[in-house]
Formats: sequence, structure tokens, C-alpha cells
Amino acid sequence: MMAVVKEKKGCVMSNRDLEYYQKMMNGDKQSLEAIYDKYEKLLYSFVIKLSSDHSLAEEVLQEVFIKLWTQKAQYDETKGKFSSWIVTITRYTAIDLIRARKESVSLEEETDVPEEKGDSVEDLVEWKEKSTDVRRALSQLSDEQRRIVDLFYFKGCSQSKIAEECNLPLGTVKGRLRLALKHLKKHLSIQEGGISDA
Amino acid sequence: MRECEKVLDYFNNELSNTEREKFEKHLESCDECREELEELRMLTDDLPFSSDPVEPPEGMKDRVLGAVFEEDKEVSEDQVVPLNEHRSKEEGPAHAPKPRGNRQRWMMSGLAAALAVSLIGNVYILSNGGEESVSEPPISESTDEVNSRVLLQGEATTASATAAIIRQNESQLLTLQAEQLDQLEGDQVYQVWLLAGDQPYRAGTFVANSNGEGAVAFSMDQLPADIDWEAVAVSKEPDAESQTPQGEVILSSTL
Repeated sequence: MMAVVKEKKGCVMSNRDLEYYQKMMNGDKQSLEAIYDKYEKLLYSFVIKLSSDHSLAEEVLQEVFIKLWTQKAQYDETKGKFSSWIVTITRYTAIDLIRARKESVSLEEETDVPEEKGDSVEDLVEWKEKSTDVRRALSQLSDEQRRIVDLFYFKGCSQSKIAEECNLPLGTVKGRLRLALKHLKKHLSIQEGGISDA
Repeated sequence: MRECEKVLDYFNNELSNTEREKFEKHLESCDECREELEELRMLTDDLPFSSDPVEPPEGMKDRVLGAVFEEDKEVSEDQVVPLNEHRSKEEGPAHAPKPRGNRQRWMMSGLAAALAVSLIGNVYILSNGGEESVSEPPISESTDEVNSRVLLQGEATTASATAAIIRQNESQLLTLQAEQLDQLEGDQVYQVWLLAGDQPYRAGTFVANSNGEGAVAFSMDQLPADIDWEAVAVSKEPDAESQTPQGEVILSSTL
């Protein structure tokens, strides 16, 4: 069963992204720069959330944009939004680099669900629109659910590591995680006011 | 662990190469796992937006984009041939070669080796992560120029490749490098074709290494001269003997 969440209107920024992306594929440096300008702060902040390491964050961004420019990673518009794609590439790049550095990410401290600080998320419309909603939805999860989501998504832990950290039988991790993520999406959809759940 | 229990570890890139290949094979036949993966992607796609805004350090943009365009220059020079004369026109005067990062090493060594061998025979197979080395690559002085460079893609595959036709003195060289290739079975090979009209011409054979990467360099001297090449394609062939494409064409591009 898959929850189907309607695309919010107002997030239709992908056309411009696609245009930049296609120009960049033809070697247009300005378009790569435009993509960079648009996503720099989100991606940087995201990697900080994944790793809490500023020097790593810069290295990750460099790697991500090299992948874009040299076309080692290629965006397929039929498979979703550009923004989802570029954060996914960033997440994997970060996870790989963290592992490569063999820095065992401290699992002692959960990545805090950020308080609303009134910090500006600047000019990225999608971030602006979603940040409050996603945080609020996260805050409505139970502590255990938040921890599972954090270990899985933000820390990139293996299933057995999550089982160990959360004191769960290995076989139940997937079910718990899915439940937590579904709750999250449900809270989000309620806030966004548009849901159809199949 | 049963294959269906590896979805999370696959999503987090925690599987070894062998495990990953096995799981991907499993994915082809297991709707449930495919749906679960898709669901994970969908359910997590808003999470990055919960990140606290952090101001990037001063000068990061210049450093990052500087490195990106520098990387590109190094790659294109290597793609063009490991000889020292080439400069592409818009990039101005020579720059001192910089030590390269690990990330490009497989590509560099693979291509350099491929190109070196291509001058001796005509086809080179890259395998095992480009670890092969070629002793004493032939040294010659020449100025190379990329006549055309294209990106090959296919509808039924995530694999992709770039191909370039390089003019080197009076000769032409076709180079092609591919990634995210499916693993081959038995005697299967990937075959590169150049097409003019409806006529395909063999233009190099290669296999994929365990990372799904392959490359080829092909001296076009052995092809009829003065042909206006219309397209380049890669097909999967049962063996290295096919004189015309027997298997499916997986990647192609017009020239």
C-alpha cells in the first residue's frame, strides 16, 4: 500500500531547473552556476545535518557538482523533481565520503529535530514552504520513531545498526521505520491540506 | 538474510558489490521490494527540507566551481589523448597539471591505457577497475582535436556513455567510455558501432568491470575513409564476433 500525496502547487520550480540542467548538459557554465546558487545553502545545510562537519560539507558539494558537470550522475525528469534528485545525490555522496573517511559518526547524540529558530531559509521557495511543515511533522513522531528515522535517513545506518541502537529485533526494523515514515507523511499531508491515501 | 530483507541496506548503500548485484537481480522479479524502495524514496523526499539553514563559508562558491571546471578540463584533456599538445581553444594557455583526486583515477588510468593500446592494436578491454597497466605506451608528438563529442543514452537502461571522435594528424580515433553497465554473462561483450546510412561498422569491443564501467578506443583508420558518420551505438552481443548487431542496441546517439 502506498500513500499517494498530491504534489503541492507552488512547488513547480522544476521547469526552470530542467532548463538550467539541459543547458548545463550542453556545457553552459552559467547554468551550472545558476543551479549552484539556487541549491548551495540547502545542500550545505543538509550535509551539516548529516555529518555536523563543515569541511566535509564543502567537499561533498564539490563532489556533487563535479558529478553533475561531468555527467557522472544524470537527472531523469520522468523520475521526479530535480530538487529531490539533487538532494538524493548529495545524501549518497555524503554517506560515501563519511564512510571513506572512516569517521564513525557519533551515534550518542541524536540529530536534534531543529527548533524553529526563525533563521531564514533564504530564497529557495521549496525549502521555505516545507521547512516548518517537515519539522512540525517530525516533532509529532514518538521519540523512538524520530530516532529510527534519524538513524536510517540522516545517519545512513544499516538495518543491524539500527536494531542495535534501538534495541529492536532485526526483523522489526523495517516495519517500524515504514510506520514512522508513513506517520510523518500523514502529518505533512494534513498540514499541506491535500491527501489521498490509497 | 532473505533478499527481501535487504531493502533498507540497499537504500542506504550498505551492500557489498556482490550483494548489490544479487539484490538488483532480485528486484527485477520482486514487485514488493520495488514498491518498498519507491515508497522509501517518496516518504523520505521531504526530509532534507528539515535542515537548519547554515551559512556556507566565505568563498566556497569560487572554490567549488573552480574545482568543478578544473576537473572538467583535466578530464577532457585526458579524454583527448595523453599527449601533451592538446589545448582546447577556449581554455587559454596551458596550466600546470595538478595532482588528481582519487575520484577520477579509474577513469584516467582506464582511458590512458585504452588509448595507448589503441595505437598498437585497435581494441582494448577495460576490466577490474582499470588496474591493467600497459608498459611503455608509444610516444608520439601530435596535436589532437575533438571533432565531435556526444552522450549516448538508451531507453531501457540507466547506463550511459560518452563518445568522442578525435582527429590526430591524418588519423581519427573513436573513444567511448560507459558506466552503469549491466554485467555480462558468458562470452557476451559490448560492441560499439558506427553507423552510416543503414550500414553498421564495428568500432570496438569491450566488457564491463565489476563497477559497471567500460571503455574503448578505436582507430578509425581501418574503416572506409570519407564516410559521413551519422550515429554511434553500443549493443550487447553474444560474443565478440558479430559482424552486424545481433543483440539489442542499448545506447545510441546521433553524431
